[in-house]
Amino acid sequence: MRALVFSLTFILAGTAHAAPPPPDPFGSGLWPDVHAEFLGREPVVFDDRVKVVAPAFAEDPMAVPVSVDASALGAVSRVVVLVDRNPIRKVLEFFPQAARPVLAFRFKLQQGSPVRAAARTADGVWHLGGTWVDGSGGGCTLPGGTRSDGSWVRTLGQVQGRMFDHGDASRLRVRIMHPMDTGLVSGIPAFYLDELQLRDDAGTAYMRILTFEPVSENPVFSFDLGTRPAGSLHLQGRDNNGNLVAARIDQQKP
Amino acid sequence: MIKKQLLSALVASVCAAGAGFVQAGAITDQMIADDAKTPGDVLSWGMGTEGQRYSTLTQVNTKTVKDLVPVWSLSFGGEKQRGQESQPVIADGTMFVTASYSRLYAIETKTGKEKWKYEHRLPDGIMPCCDVINRGAALFDNLVIFGTLDAQLVALDRETGKVVWKKKVDDFQAGYSLSAAPIIAKGLLLTGVSGGEFGIVGRVEARDPKTGNMVWSRPTLEGYMGYKYDAEGKPVENGMTGTTNKSWPGDLWKTGGASTWLGGSYNAETGLAYFGTGNPAPWNSHLRPGDNLYSCSTLAIDVSTGQIVWHYQNTPNDGWDFDGVNEFVTFKTKDGRILGGKADRNGFFYVNDAKTGKLVNAFPFVKQITWASGIDLATGRPKFNDKNRPGDPSKTTDGKKGESVFSAPSFLGGKNQMPMAYSPDTGLFYVPANEWGMEIWNEPISYKKGAAYLGAGFTIKTINDDYIGALRAVDPMTGKIVWEAKNNAPLWGGVLTTKGGLVFYGTPEGLLKAMDAKTGKELWSFQVGTGIVAPPVTWEEGGVQYVAIVSGWGGAVPLWGGDVAKRVNMLNQGGSVWVFKLHKS
Repeated sequence: MRALVFSLTFILAGTAHAAPPPPDPFGSGLWPDVHAEFLGREPVVFDDRVKVVAPAFAEDPMAVPVSVDASALGAVSRVVVLVDRNPIRKVLEFFPQAARPVLAFRFKLQQGSPVRAAARTADGVWHLGGTWVDGSGGGCTLPGGTRSDGSWVRTLGQVQGRMFDHGDASRLRVRIMHPMDTGLVSGIPAFYLDELQLRDDAGTAYMRILTFEPVSENPVFSFDLGTRPAGSLHLQGRDNNGNLVAARIDQQKP
Repeated sequence: MIKKQLLSALVASVCAAGAGFVQAGAITDQMIADDAKTPGDVLSWGMGTEGQRYSTLTQVNTKTVKDLVPVWSLSFGGEKQRGQESQPVIADGTMFVTASYSRLYAIETKTGKEKWKYEHRLPDGIMPCCDVINRGAALFDNLVIFGTLDAQLVALDRETGKVVWKKKVDDFQAGYSLSAAPIIAKGLLLTGVSGGEFGIVGRVEARDPKTGNMVWSRPTLEGYMGYKYDAEGKPVENGMTGTTNKSWPGDLWKTGGASTWLGGSYNAETGLAYFGTGNPAPWNSHLRPGDNLYSCSTLAIDVSTGQIVWHYQNTPNDGWDFDGVNEFVTFKTKDGRILGGKADRNGFFYVNDAKTGKLVNAFPFVKQITWASGIDLATGRPKFNDKNRPGDPSKTTDGKKGESVFSAPSFLGGKNQMPMAYSPDTGLFYVPANEWGMEIWNEPISYKKGAAYLGAGFTIKTINDDYIGALRAVDPMTGKIVWEAKNNAPLWGGVLTTKGGLVFYGTPEGLLKAMDAKTGKELWSFQVGTGIVAPPVTWEEGGVQYVAIVSGWGGAVPLWGGDVAKRVNMLNQGGSVWVFKLHKS
């Protein structure tokens, strides 16, 4: 009898996992794979409250600006940004802590593709928003500027940052000098920042970001901090070769 | 306070023991010290910190070796098929092998399946003198640690390949790089530096292998201060190396080289690490009268203190680039003395007391040596042939080129980087030797950061029509060459010997060979498809003895070879690991 109960449970669990995801508004044939690989086949809803804003056409496929805003959902534990038709689909994922679940940055686009952000709420449901970006191609497989001139060695890990007010919120924009090599250019191994953590003087964590190869060379990130933090902010991180990032961003004098 | 420390030490040891049950064994200092006695793994460069490259395994032996067949081969892939000089290390069913351009592969030993790889992102301006090679990694705890061509040390998690720590050793733009395998001795990570052709400062460094933090640093040039590092990482003076200007007048010693580019060996009984030091810079010896300590020497360093306990200089005031970093391999005599053997670039084989450095024996291991007629065993100094020193350019009318001489060995050496092996069974060293000479002359030179600092011109000459390379079985006590196996191209890979009575080595022509350790008779060979310039290893797993070799032609010979090119320019590049075992029908 006990064995029977066990096997029943197994079948039920198995069925739940095998349930196909809701159909993709973009009609991407890759969507079921993306769902399985990056969202663990967990429950998904397409939800307009997750805003993904990017240009309709990527003028520069190596630096496509995108902003992700999941703040309309309320509390969000994790946001994953995915590009279906990139050779490396996962661009980054971030964990909003004291910062709001909002992040703007630039990424590399290999060809026209849905660009999606999946935000996970406390009930374990992924809320998906997205936009379609067209592109002329090649963003992930062309060498970047700093590696053509070799200057990346001199600037590696340097950070520039500035805090400013934006409406009712305080924003921080940082640029981290890094070639962000995808490993898809012949003879150049993958070399990219893989982890960033933003904190304030008191040690309060604002946001953690796991970055991957498709984030643009010399990445720029804009954070939405909510109320302006007192004192300085600290950005710490590292790349897949173990090079460290450690920068302090001071308040601007009025 | 003491109590608290004790308690935390206790907690740490309990945790370590606990972790031991969960993880696939943390590699301890004791395991590394016992490496030569434990054939189930290969934990260190040299197959034991003494560097004997001797295995107690007997399954593959003079009778069975004919049935040795390949099990798997893994290609390093990509377009980076340059010289592969790496010795694999093996633990817990995983092989860790470095490859050209600062890459490292973790491979399942059973299947040859790649578990992960690490590709170091190199800057464009790296300046390795002699191909983009690497000689291997060190294992410690859960880490695999190796040096890169841009002079950094990288420690990776053995399971995941993720970087745990990374340290910059020095400025690659000044010519520093790392090519040697680090070693672990007394729980410390010991490394040298490469870059002797760029006027760098040679040194030996000890680090905490868990964090990469510095423990001590010992420069190899007299006049430089050594340092220890306190808990905050601040340097504390630890005594100068030698005495300023004692053997090296003026200030040329400041950019004097004496690099430690082949790494070192360690003998747990003497507590000493042995590092060979390279040539003094620049090559033109007339610019630096004196012995130029501690270039072209063996340095014995107390691992606990970072102090030089003894030194023996093989080529005082070197003028031929007899870059004597060659490995010092310790062994025990029948009467219990601990001696060390070194087959030097300069063509002589030296035997020193490993505790005191006293010269015990010295004899030629190549047939033609022009620069000295012998080594005086009483004084320990070479009997120089003054006429064979390349001339002083400042003594000529236009000052541009000194008198040229023909010198043997060539600067590529009677033996170069390829490590020899020692068998306690036969009492013989198996030395991959080369017979060649060179035309060499001096030219004016001044130091410029990051520029080649030679002050000499040269061209390599062959001596014999039928061979350059010769694997020689050398008796360190009598100086007798017991047997030799000639090879058309110069030998550039290392040697392995086993209790099964075998000597394994590879040739640039692509043959991995097994010889009878007593007679030198060739018993087996296998063509790996590209040249071999790396040392073989053997280990046992699940009752089966395996032999592994990294293949991939390259290194210094194709870059500097002169007349030798005729014998090697038909060789094709590659980059693979090959593993063999006995065939059972």
